[in-house]
Amino acid sequence: MSFLILAVPVVAALLMITTRIIGRMHSISITASGTMLVSAIPITRDILAFGKIESSFMGGILYLDALSVIVLDIVLLIGFLACIYSVGYLNREIILGAFDFKRVRFYYALMFSFMFTMLLALSVKNVGIMWIAIEATTLASAFLVGFNNDRYALEAAWKYIIICSVGIALAMLGVIFLNLSAMATLSSSAQLDWTALMDNAGSLKTSSVRLAFIFILVGFGTKAGLAPMHTWLPDAHSQAPAPISALLSGVLLNSAMYGIIRITAVTNRNMGSSEFTGNLLVLLGMLSILTASVFILTQKDYKRLLAYSSIEHMGIIAVAIGFFTPASIFGGLFHMINHSLTKSMLFFCSGTILQKYGTKQITKIKGAIKLLPYTGTAFLLGLFAIAGTPPFSIFSSEFSIMSAIFNEGDYIIGSVLILLLAFVFAGIAIALFRIFYGTSGTETPRPGEINMPGTIAALILLLMIGTMGLLMPGQLEELISNAQNIIYGS
Amino acid sequence: MSDIFDTLSVLILMTAFVLMANKKVKAYIKTFRVQSALIALSAGILGVGAIVDEGRYDLMVVCVLIVILKVIYIPGLLHKTYAGIEYRTEKDFILNIPILVLMSCSLVVFTYFSLSASGSINEGGIDPQLVNTISVTMIGLLFMITRKKAIGQIIGFLEVENGIFITAMFSTQGMPFIVDMGIFIDMLTAVMIMGVLVFKINITFESINTDRLNKLKG
Amino acid sequence: MNYLIYIVLQIIVIIVFAPLINGVIRKIKALSQKRKGAPVFQMYFDLHKLFRKTTVVSETSSWIFKAAPLVFFSTAVTAALLVPVSTIIPQPLTLPGDFIVMVSVLALGRFFMMLAGLDTGSTFGGMGSSREALISSLIEPSIMVSLFTIALITGSTSLSKILFVVNNSETRLPLQVSILVFLALLLIIIAETARIPVDDPSTHLELTMVHEAMILEYSGRHLALMEYGAAVKQLTFITLLVNILLPLDGMISRAGIAAILLSLLFYAAKVLIAAVLIALIEINSVKLKLFSIPNLAALAFILSFVAFLQYFVLGGNHV
Repeated sequence: MSFLILAVPVVAALLMITTRIIGRMHSISITASGTMLVSAIPITRDILAFGKIESSFMGGILYLDALSVIVLDIVLLIGFLACIYSVGYLNREIILGAFDFKRVRFYYALMFSFMFTMLLALSVKNVGIMWIAIEATTLASAFLVGFNNDRYALEAAWKYIIICSVGIALAMLGVIFLNLSAMATLSSSAQLDWTALMDNAGSLKTSSVRLAFIFILVGFGTKAGLAPMHTWLPDAHSQAPAPISALLSGVLLNSAMYGIIRITAVTNRNMGSSEFTGNLLVLLGMLSILTASVFILTQKDYKRLLAYSSIEHMGIIAVAIGFFTPASIFGGLFHMINHSLTKSMLFFCSGTILQKYGTKQITKIKGAIKLLPYTGTAFLLGLFAIAGTPPFSIFSSEFSIMSAIFNEGDYIIGSVLILLLAFVFAGIAIALFRIFYGTSGTETPRPGEINMPGTIAALILLLMIGTMGLLMPGQLEELISNAQNIIYGS
Repeated sequence: MSDIFDTLSVLILMTAFVLMANKKVKAYIKTFRVQSALIALSAGILGVGAIVDEGRYDLMVVCVLIVILKVIYIPGLLHKTYAGIEYRTEKDFILNIPILVLMSCSLVVFTYFSLSASGSINEGGIDPQLVNTISVTMIGLLFMITRKKAIGQIIGFLEVENGIFITAMFSTQGMPFIVDMGIFIDMLTAVMIMGVLVFKINITFESINTDRLNKLKG
Repeated sequence: MNYLIYIVLQIIVIIVFAPLINGVIRKIKALSQKRKGAPVFQMYFDLHKLFRKTTVVSETSSWIFKAAPLVFFSTAVTAALLVPVSTIIPQPLTLPGDFIVMVSVLALGRFFMMLAGLDTGSTFGGMGSSREALISSLIEPSIMVSLFTIALITGSTSLSKILFVVNNSETRLPLQVSILVFLALLLIIIAETARIPVDDPSTHLELTMVHEAMILEYSGRHLALMEYGAAVKQLTFITLLVNILLPLDGMISRAGIAAILLSLLFYAAKVLIAAVLIALIEINSVKLKLFSIPNLAALAFILSFVAFLQYFVLGGNHV
């Protein structure tokens, strides 16, 4: 079963290259992503029952545990919804004359390769292969970011590939140091194995592990969008086509954060306390939230606004992981899930709005609810959600993180965090009022939804984040607890 | 024996400095070639040692791959990409070259003090090879930041990869084979993608001055 | 008695043979251009001719103009006496003075040469002096750092002691330090002796001159002394380079006259190699723009600085 999630995207990408009919491409895409999503169900069930899935395929590389499954499920869910959304989105672009079948083929092939690399990163236990997969995600998505081929997209793609490749190269230095730390005590096949490193964390050489942590934090932090390495993110996420932005923001950032969480767990277990990693993580996290809040207040482009919001939420997750108490880790993981769902929904809606109005400027889209009733509402509620309004799930996770911080007794950081979140809320609210409370301008597009499948996808996500804010399903809670135990060590 | 590796690591560090002090595109590519050749030489010596001691062939394969990819193929690819672009010498610098060379120097000092402050990595004091090879990586980063043209950034990225590769080589006697292969493939694909992007940038912006890539602000 | 042998040996070898090196380099350059070139001993004939010619002294110049050639030549000879050509002279013979004295004495000579360039009031002289000031101030840190590194490793700043330690068959400099200091000293020699790529010794275009511009106004025996001093300085630096970094004297196990002659033979061979190297560098490079010379100087500095760093990284051990 676990192979399906790796084999299907590869097969799908290859199939895409062979076909020329756009309708067939759409159906391949939906089938493939649907299959992948369906195969997530038995995987999750197995994890809940047994704790981990291992397979001796290719020398025992494949490995899934609760932590990887959380991120994996999000990838598969949002991948499926993104494929549904893409159908309507691409059809609209074809009508507008921007894409022909070759572009669509290229799009789908790259998208499935992209998903394959992300899934690979999450389902291996060898740090080296995880690194290779994360580097490959940058490569697979570079052309997706620059898909529109205009000067802004090219600029975004160039910055993306340069900054992320450099970051990942530094992460490799960290992996080398990690390998060095284990050279004395572990056999050569186990030196880069997450499970072996976790189990034997006490016997690793601390000085090397510390250096490894710093480099991997900087390297994967670049990919996760933590300040000050975040400079590629607003450009890349705003210039990419909407479903790709959803994948980048909602899924890729999580995968990078997954790497950071793993190395934090190993380092903390090795050093016996979370002070070293905590200081660094909290520093970078707070810096990210600060940067994001400053830029959100002055944003004129709604897609860039969403991108900065991603930086902010990744910062919150970093702070949560940095505090490293069971409650804060639980909150951080829950927040990862909520942020992905909400942000993807927002990007789906923004893509529809862009196609409707033809502009990314906040001041130029007025009266969105009248023209796009469902999408507009979803966008409105989504912006409230991402700013942290109850009853949406982001509010719950932010609240639990905050209470964990205050329970720890760190009032300063807690208060600064609240202040910064208030700034972000203010910035988003300003943008909200601009979008939804104007009268339509002179050139109004015709009212009516243009991407029904996409809108349905957005509404599904809206429903999910609405209910999860009020009631967490028991299995989800159990899954997150298991993951928390893996990280914290019961 | 380790004397040879000390000397090789110093020579590789020297090529990093020479790369920093250069202004012409052809010189960038030539210096990169020399650096990759030195790295291949180190891999080769290590590989011969591995074959003799343990019967492992993977390091020799890695050495051959480095020669094929980084000494022959990638510089050729870069030359071809640049043949079409009218640009030979970099004239615009934020900081002039002697200052950059001195900054690279201070990076070496900084690396040395960081490594010694964080405790010895290997027993018996700081491994001089490690200081040199990590400095190469840092100097590559500095190179990337201070060049405005896209070719400079690509060469800087390749130098960073070189530095990391030689660090892995000297410290852990090479990573597991599959990881090395993956790194090669990643690097090759990255360079190809960068090449295509530079080509597109040249067409769209009519220059490869990455200073012009400044429209997305805020 | 030993002192006498030593001084006689130094004077004969360095001072008498200095112009020969110029001739060798010039010959190699000519051969590479498929010319026959001037004979190798040409500089002796030139010096002989110059000493017999009358000197023309500008009326607007001061005593510095007449003193400068003497100062330059004597400082060059003094520096030459500080760098032993052979280490077979039996110990304990250490000359007073070390490489710091050598560098400072040479700096004194250079200072007077720069003053002389300014003295006549001609524009080209002033231009040459200012350029020389730039180049020498950029190169001097490299000399100091590389020689200090060698001194730290060998435990003394006296050149005789350094050479004695280095040529001892049991001890040797670490290989990477040797390579780096060798390259640094090679670049320094090019800068100090005003060769391509820093300055073209055979140019006749005043706007491109550095060293030649300062001695433009000289004639007769003054010019002879200036040229001779430059040649002696060149051989001094070459001796420094080859004796520290290509130590072959350790192979000689006998003592007495035969050993001294053998070491001198080795020395001659080493100097020839160095001359060929310098000639090759001259043949294969072009003269740099004046504003690119700081890049070269930075490179020389880096070479010496990294050698210095290697000394620390290796644990700061004496050899």
